[in-house]
Amino acid sequence: MSRPVPPGDRPTADPVALFIERAEQVGISVITVGTHDEAIERAVALGRERRVQRAALWDTPEMAPIRDRLRAEGVEILDPRGTFETFAQAEIGITGAEWGVAETGSLVLSAGPGKPQAASLLAPLHLAVLRSDRIVPGLATLLERCGPLPSALVLITGPSRSADIGLVPVLGAHGPTAVTVLLVAG
Amino acid sequence: MPDHPTRIDLIRNTEQALRDASLQRQMGKAMPASRRARADAVAELPEWESLRSTAAEIKDHVLANLEGYLRQLESQVSALGGTVHWASDAAEARAIITDLARSRGVRRIVKSKSMTTEEIFLNPALEAAGAGVVETDLGEYVVQLAGERPSHLIAPVVHKPTEEIADLFVRKLGVPRYERPEELARVAREVLRAEFLAAEMGITGVNFAIAESGTLVIVENEGNARLTTARPRIHVAVMGVEKVLPQLADLSVFLRILARSGTGQRSSVYVSLLTGPRRAGETDGPEELHLVILDNGRRRLLADPDLRAALRCIRCGACQNECPVYQHAGGHAYGSVYAGPIGAVLTPAYEGLERARDLPFASTLCRACADVCPVKIDLPGMLVELRARSVRTGLASWRDRMLVGAWTFFTRSPARFMLAGSLGRLAQRLVARGGKIERLPYPLSGWTAHRAAPVLASTPFRAWWKSRQGEGR
Amino acid sequence: MKPVALFVTCLVDQLFPNVGEAAVRALERAGCAVEFPGEQTCCGQAAFNNGFQEEARVLAQRFLDVFADATAIVAPSGSCADMVREWYPHLFRDTPALLDRARSVASRTYELSEYLVRVLGVTDLGARFPATVTYHPSCHGLRGLGLRDEPLGLLRAVRDLRLVELPDAEQCCGFGGFFSIKFAALSGAMLSAKLDTIEASGAEVVTATDVSCLMHISGGLSRRGSRVRALHLAEILAGS
Repeated sequence: MSRPVPPGDRPTADPVALFIERAEQVGISVITVGTHDEAIERAVALGRERRVQRAALWDTPEMAPIRDRLRAEGVEILDPRGTFETFAQAEIGITGAEWGVAETGSLVLSAGPGKPQAASLLAPLHLAVLRSDRIVPGLATLLERCGPLPSALVLITGPSRSADIGLVPVLGAHGPTAVTVLLVAG
Repeated sequence: MPDHPTRIDLIRNTEQALRDASLQRQMGKAMPASRRARADAVAELPEWESLRSTAAEIKDHVLANLEGYLRQLESQVSALGGTVHWASDAAEARAIITDLARSRGVRRIVKSKSMTTEEIFLNPALEAAGAGVVETDLGEYVVQLAGERPSHLIAPVVHKPTEEIADLFVRKLGVPRYERPEELARVAREVLRAEFLAAEMGITGVNFAIAESGTLVIVENEGNARLTTARPRIHVAVMGVEKVLPQLADLSVFLRILARSGTGQRSSVYVSLLTGPRRAGETDGPEELHLVILDNGRRRLLADPDLRAALRCIRCGACQNECPVYQHAGGHAYGSVYAGPIGAVLTPAYEGLERARDLPFASTLCRACADVCPVKIDLPGMLVELRARSVRTGLASWRDRMLVGAWTFFTRSPARFMLAGSLGRLAQRLVARGGKIERLPYPLSGWTAHRAAPVLASTPFRAWWKSRQGEGR
Repeated sequence: MKPVALFVTCLVDQLFPNVGEAAVRALERAGCAVEFPGEQTCCGQAAFNNGFQEEARVLAQRFLDVFADATAIVAPSGSCADMVREWYPHLFRDTPALLDRARSVASRTYELSEYLVRVLGVTDLGARFPATVTYHPSCHGLRGLGLRDEPLGLLRAVRDLRLVELPDAEQCCGFGGFFSIKFAALSGAMLSAKLDTIEASGAEVVTATDVSCLMHISGGLSRRGSRVRALHLAEILAGS
């Protein structure tokens, strides 16, 4: 018996628009910016708005300018090579995102050196920077393109939630209560 | 199957469940809501039927080539630095995991939701070996505090209202009485955060295991499984043999159908694809990865041509959400961690028909479950088969044999059939009032306990037809 | 005139003969020549669903003999038609000669509304039934035979009939054959839920394609002292 072949993704005319629509439907805030510099400004502005005092960031070239600007504003940047306990004190976790999946409105994050899962998991607010050209139509395309897998590849589709107690949906069951995406269009 | 000798008294359990007004309220709210959510999510995909067929075919392909895919999975996981353990039954699985805990000096364990670990009664064994186990899925945490077992495949504490959970937290955690779900969830989050940070071992289930890459896929909404696998230095993943899938690409089918079927979501909040333990330079993820592959009756089920398709099950819970019997009975009535329609097949298969003989009969064969099963398991057909096996192995009750025996006797010829009618019409004079019967004697008294019974007509159809023929049209 | 062999079903024959009469009238109105093979008794469903496949096979074989030469076999029962179509081939899967006969008979067996609409192409029988009516789709007809539009189409063509939707219509009524006795309390709870929706619909009459569901529903309505009547679809179609 030969192996049945899974179908590909349904083509979408505008994956970016679909991504935004679907992400917002699951409670992810999407802020569209034109350039990475704008993304940096918005990230810093968000930190200021939320009066963030401690932030956990990925240790990557993409995140470096954000880190430096936040530090300049007096925000404590938690050691990205630190322990879980360290990260648990963060009020915001700022990461990149490898991919976006339009069909489900999901972010896709890879674990790796300098890219701990803790950054997108422990703080009540998760902020992710995603380039719009990394958005794929659906899961089939993602799995085709994702290449050799890291130790952890996580699809994130909204803030942490549970409706276990009295059927009432509650956010921030264990993970973040809020997820915001800075979508870099350029 | 020596773990489970006593018969599950499903009839008594369901009667008890029906008297539990709180349970009826909870289930009466939860199940219709889940049904609506599923229906909406499925209506969005015009290719739904085709996805179901593809999913069923992939699963059947895996089942037909199981050993090959399991070997491939093992070899990939090992190459990644993980250790694969084979457990032929529950006792062996418990021993593997408790030995691991003991040999690594593990005192504190966090667990994310896994029906497979419930199936093997893992927690008591770990406690007995001196390791404290804390369930971290919110529903499972509540169930653990209450000393109960989960009642639904994906909503473990669906049977409990908020007020009871509030009381439970006061009793067990010594916190003030919180009325609102958000407050209770916050209490649990704080307690469990500390547990994640302290635990040396995290135990999870596995939704799908990809043979080509050795990737373990865990699907959840809360983030507790991510925490369970990111923080503790040892990760133990427990999977039934049937969870293996050939390739990563297959996930595009199964992830689409799992969340939509179970909760009506396009995707669960977190889908973790875990490929090996932590790598050089990484600061989270387990240092040690162990995969326990469990048989516990699955290969025996695989060898059963009438029932083997039940192994396609992806544990979405849609059949439970759809089943009116399950809605009224609740999961605990089934006496096993697998309840509802899939439970009525798996529990007899894994625990024996002797013990679970009533489960396949707790159904009107309405087929609602078969309609929604994302992998097209013919559950009603399997229930029919299990009923036949029940009778063939002499498990039918005296009452059933009598009723069916009488029915067959009187329907073997028109003459006997008419005789039965005549006898019935005579007998019913004793009990019929105003064209109805309000009290039928044993063995039919169950009918009139809940509704009036019709009377046999004074002129059966065939008598009318005969006279009509005699008169000419 | 199309020849039709009526399989009246055991419940209709002994308990609800008026449904059988109505089915004959409906078929005749649709231009059929109805025969009633007198040797018929029961399709064996009750035994089969209870796990007694040997006994069911005996009854099934009788059915195959009785209806061997019929061009079309029509039953005023979705569950009986479903039994023949879906399960007779299964019952005889180990005996090729009987399997062939079972498949042949199954291919000629229909539920009443299915026969009228899908085979004869008739939805209007010239019936009149002035009442508010709601339709309960019996499970075996609905999911076994795919009956959905056919009964509704027939009802919509009835003059002066006001059709109202039944909330949660596709929920099983809880009859299930011996289930109604074995798991009487569960059956009663499912019945209660069905009755609540029938009452909520505002209908004066509830109808279905199966007297099994209807006698269970009717028995429950009676206990509630309800004025709602339960009538088989054929009875409404034969109204004039």
